[in-house]
Amino acid sequence: MIQPSNIEVDREKGNFHYPTSKYAFDAGVGLSDDVIKYISDVKKEQDWILDFRLKAHSIFQKKPMPTHWASKDLHNINFDVIRYYLAQGQQPSRTWDDVPDDIKNTFERLGIPEQERKFLAGVEAQFDSEAAYSRMKEDLEKEGVIFVGSTEGLRDYPEIFKKWFGKVIPSSDNKFSALNSAVFSGGSFIYVPPGVKLAQPLQAYFRINAENFGQFERTLIIADEGSEITYMEGCTAPKFETSTLHSAVVELVALKGAKIQYITVQNWSNNVFNLVTKRAMAEEEAEVRWIDCNIGSRLTMKYPGVVLRGRKARGEVLSIALANEGQHQDTGAKMVHAASETSSNVIAKSVSIGQGRSSYRGLVQIPGHLKHCKNNTECDALLINNDSQTDTYPAISIQGDDNSVQHEASVSKVSAEQIFYMQQRGLNQSEAMSLYVNGFVNDLIREFPMEYSVELKRLIDLEMEGSVG
Amino acid sequence: MNSIIPSDLKLNAQFTSPKFFNSFLNKRSFEPGWLVDLRKDAWNKFKKLPENKTKDERWRFSPRSRLGHSKFGLMAESKNKLTLNNEFSEELYFETLEHTILNNPDLLKDFQSLTGPDLGSEETFLLCRCLSESGFVLKTEKGVKAQNSLICNHIAPSNNESLFQTNVLFIEPFSELTIIEYFDSNDKISPGMLSNLNHIILNEGAKLNRVLIQRLNNNSTFKHLEKIELQKDAQFNSISLHLGSRQSRVESNGVILGNGAHFNNFSLSLGHNEQLFDQRTIQHHIAPNGRSNLLFKNALLDKSKSVFSGLIKVEPGAQNTDSFQTNRNLLLSNDAEADSLPGLEILANEVKCSHGATTSKIDDQELFYLQSRGITKKLSEKLIVLGFFEEIIGQIKSDTIIQELRNEVSNFFNS
Repeated sequence: MIQPSNIEVDREKGNFHYPTSKYAFDAGVGLSDDVIKYISDVKKEQDWILDFRLKAHSIFQKKPMPTHWASKDLHNINFDVIRYYLAQGQQPSRTWDDVPDDIKNTFERLGIPEQERKFLAGVEAQFDSEAAYSRMKEDLEKEGVIFVGSTEGLRDYPEIFKKWFGKVIPSSDNKFSALNSAVFSGGSFIYVPPGVKLAQPLQAYFRINAENFGQFERTLIIADEGSEITYMEGCTAPKFETSTLHSAVVELVALKGAKIQYITVQNWSNNVFNLVTKRAMAEEEAEVRWIDCNIGSRLTMKYPGVVLRGRKARGEVLSIALANEGQHQDTGAKMVHAASETSSNVIAKSVSIGQGRSSYRGLVQIPGHLKHCKNNTECDALLINNDSQTDTYPAISIQGDDNSVQHEASVSKVSAEQIFYMQQRGLNQSEAMSLYVNGFVNDLIREFPMEYSVELKRLIDLEMEGSVG
Repeated sequence: MNSIIPSDLKLNAQFTSPKFFNSFLNKRSFEPGWLVDLRKDAWNKFKKLPENKTKDERWRFSPRSRLGHSKFGLMAESKNKLTLNNEFSEELYFETLEHTILNNPDLLKDFQSLTGPDLGSEETFLLCRCLSESGFVLKTEKGVKAQNSLICNHIAPSNNESLFQTNVLFIEPFSELTIIEYFDSNDKISPGMLSNLNHIILNEGAKLNRVLIQRLNNNSTFKHLEKIELQKDAQFNSISLHLGSRQSRVESNGVILGNGAHFNNFSLSLGHNEQLFDQRTIQHHIAPNGRSNLLFKNALLDKSKSVFSGLIKVEPGAQNTDSFQTNRNLLLSNDAEADSLPGLEILANEVKCSHGATTSKIDDQELFYLQSRGITKKLSEKLIVLGFFEEIIGQIKSDTIIQELRNEVSNFFNS
C-alpha cells in the first residue's frame, strides 16, 4: 500500500501556542464604540470607514441571534470577553527574514512546506489581525494584480475596492456579518485586471493565537472581465481553555466572463466558533466555484453562496465536512438565480464520527421570470459510529415552467463487508476505516490542488485515528 | 420568504371570546366532567399562546395570513356535517363524535393523553380540542378484518363560518380496515373553513388503509392535522388527493413506536388559480426496523403554489430503519411556484435514508410527441398529469377507487 503522505507535518493539537504578552496594539476585551474607534485610529482609516464600522456595530446590537433555526450553542458565545483587535505592528514584513523567529517557528510547526513558499505566487499569512508576512512575485505586480490586506486595500486603492466593499454582503446580512463589518482587520483584497489569468493560486494562511481573541478578517476579490484566479486559504488555531470566535466575511465579484475558484481548508481547534459569511456575485458568463473543507472547530456555520446575476453565469459549491466528537459542522450552500440560463451545482459530503454532528443547509431560489435555469444538489452523509448524527435541511423555491432543479440526499454507514475485505488484505481496522472515508470523499478531493489534497488526506487519517474500536 | 405576521386569530374571531366559550360550555352541559375539563384546559393553553412575532421555520415560505382564522369568525352549526356508512357490529364501532359523547363517552377516555402533530399549527390543534362538536370515532376489537370500506363524508361549512372536527381511530391488534374520507363544501362558492384533527392509533399488527379526497370549493380553507402512532408491526397506508380549497395546510406526523412498523404517506395535489397547498410532514422513527415511505406530488397550474416541508427523524435507538422521502413538483405555468424543504435528522448509523426533491416543467419532447399525434395541447397536459399521478394512484388495491381518483383528475381538466 502506498503511504498517504511523507510531508513532515506536526499537528499535535495544543502545540502551537506562544506568548501573547508583547502585542504592540491591543484593543482590550469587549466591544464598544470606543474599541471600534481605537481600531480605526490605529489603522489610520478614513472617516467613511469608521462610519461604516460604527453603523455596523449598531446593526450588530439590534440583530437577534439566528437561533430560531440554528444551534442553541450560539448563545454560549460571550461577546464581552473577546478581544477584537491585537497586532504586532502595522507594517506587514516584506521579506521572510524580517518575520520574527517565534512566528516563523509557528509556521514551521504548522507545516507550510519550504518548497511551497518558494514557488507559490504570493504568500499572505495572517497572524492574528495583521499580515505578518506578505510577498508577491514581481511578475504578478507587473500584470497589475493587486494583492494586499484590507487596510492597505481601502487606503491605497479606494477607487477599485470601495465600489464593491460591503456590497455583496451588506453589514445587515446577519448578526455576524455586522460584527465583522464593525471590527474587521486583515484579510486579503485582490484585484485581477481584465484578461489576466493567474496560472498559480494565491494563498493565505489564517491563524488565531491569543486566547479569547476573535478573528475578523475581511476578504474581497474582484476578478475583472475575462480574468481567472484561484485563491486558497487555510485556517488553524492552537488549543485554549476558553472558546475563541472566528467570524470572517468573504466577498467575491466575478465580472463578465471571469472565473474565481476559492478554496478553504479549515482546521481550527475544537473550541473555535467558526461563523463565516461567504458570498459571490457572478456577472454574465462568469464562473464561481467554492471548494470548502471543514475539519476543525467546535461549531462551524458557513454557507457559501453565489448570486448569479448575469446570463449564463455558473455557480458551484463543493464541500467536505468532517465532524468529530464534540463538533458540529453546519455547512451548506446558497444559490440565488437572478438571470436566465444560469446554472448551479452543489455537491456536499459529510462524515460524522463519534458524537459529531454534521448538517447541510441549502437554499436554491429561481424566480418565475427566468428561463432555462438549472440546479443540481447532491448531499451524501456517512455515519461512522452508533451515536453520530447528520441532518439535511435544504430549502428550494422555484417558480416558472422553464426551470428545473433536483435535489438528492442520502445517508449511509460504513459497509462492514468492505472493511472486512480490507482487513483481510492486511490493513488494521483504523487504516481500513481511514481508507474508506478517503474513498468516500475522493471524487471531491481530486478537485483540490495537489498540495491541499495531500494535506487533506493526511488530516482525515489523523481525524480517523482512534475513532473505531 | 418567512412571514412575520402576528397571529390574527385573537382579533376578529367571535369564537375566541371568553363569553362565547362560556356559552358554548353551557350549551354542552350534558358532557362528562373530564371532557369539559379537557376543553377548558385547551382553552387556557390557547389563550396563553404567544403572538407569532418571531420567524418560525415551520411556517417558512408559507403566506401565513392566508391560513388565519379571522375571516371565518363564526362557528358553524355542527349538524349534518358528517355522514358515515355505519356498520353496526359488536366488533367494530364507527360512529359520529356527537353520538359517542352522548352514548359511549368512555371510548374517549384515552383521548386526554393524545397529542397533535406539533408542526406549527398549535392554534388550530387547541381550537379543535376546545370546540369540536363533530367528527367520528372508530374503534375495533382485536383481529377484525372488515370486508367493505368504511366511508365518511365530511361537509365543510359555508357563509364564512368555521368548523372544528376531531376524529379518533383506535385500531386494535391485527385488525385490517380501509377507510375512505371525502371532504366537500356545503355549497359551490361561499367560503368556509374546516379544521380537521385526526388521532390515529394502530396497535400491534394492525393495518389501516386510508384514502382521502379533498374537494372543497375554491374559496374555502382546509386545515388537516394528524398524528399517527404505529405500534409493533402496524401498517398505515395513506393516499390523499387534494383538488379543492383556496388554501390548505396539511400537517402529518407519523411516529414509529414499535419494532418493524410501516408508514406510507402518499399525496397528490392539483392546483389552479391561486390555490395554496402547504404541506408539513414528519416521519419519526423511534423504534428499530421501521420502514417509512413518503411521496408528495404536486402539479401546479396558473398562479398556484405548493410548499412541501418534510422531515425524516431517526432517533438513536431506531437502528435498521429504511426511510425515504420524495417530493416531485410539476410546474405547468410560468406563475406557479413550488417550494421544497426536505429534511433529514439522523441519529442512528444502521439506516438507509434518502430524500429527493425535483421541480420541473413538462418535457417539451413529450408534449411535442403527443401533439404530433393530433392531440391538443390541453389534452396532452391532462394526459401527462394523469401519468404523473399514476405512480401513486396505481398503488391502490381497489379498482373502483382507482377509477374514481382518475375521474377526479380528469374532471378537473374538463371543467
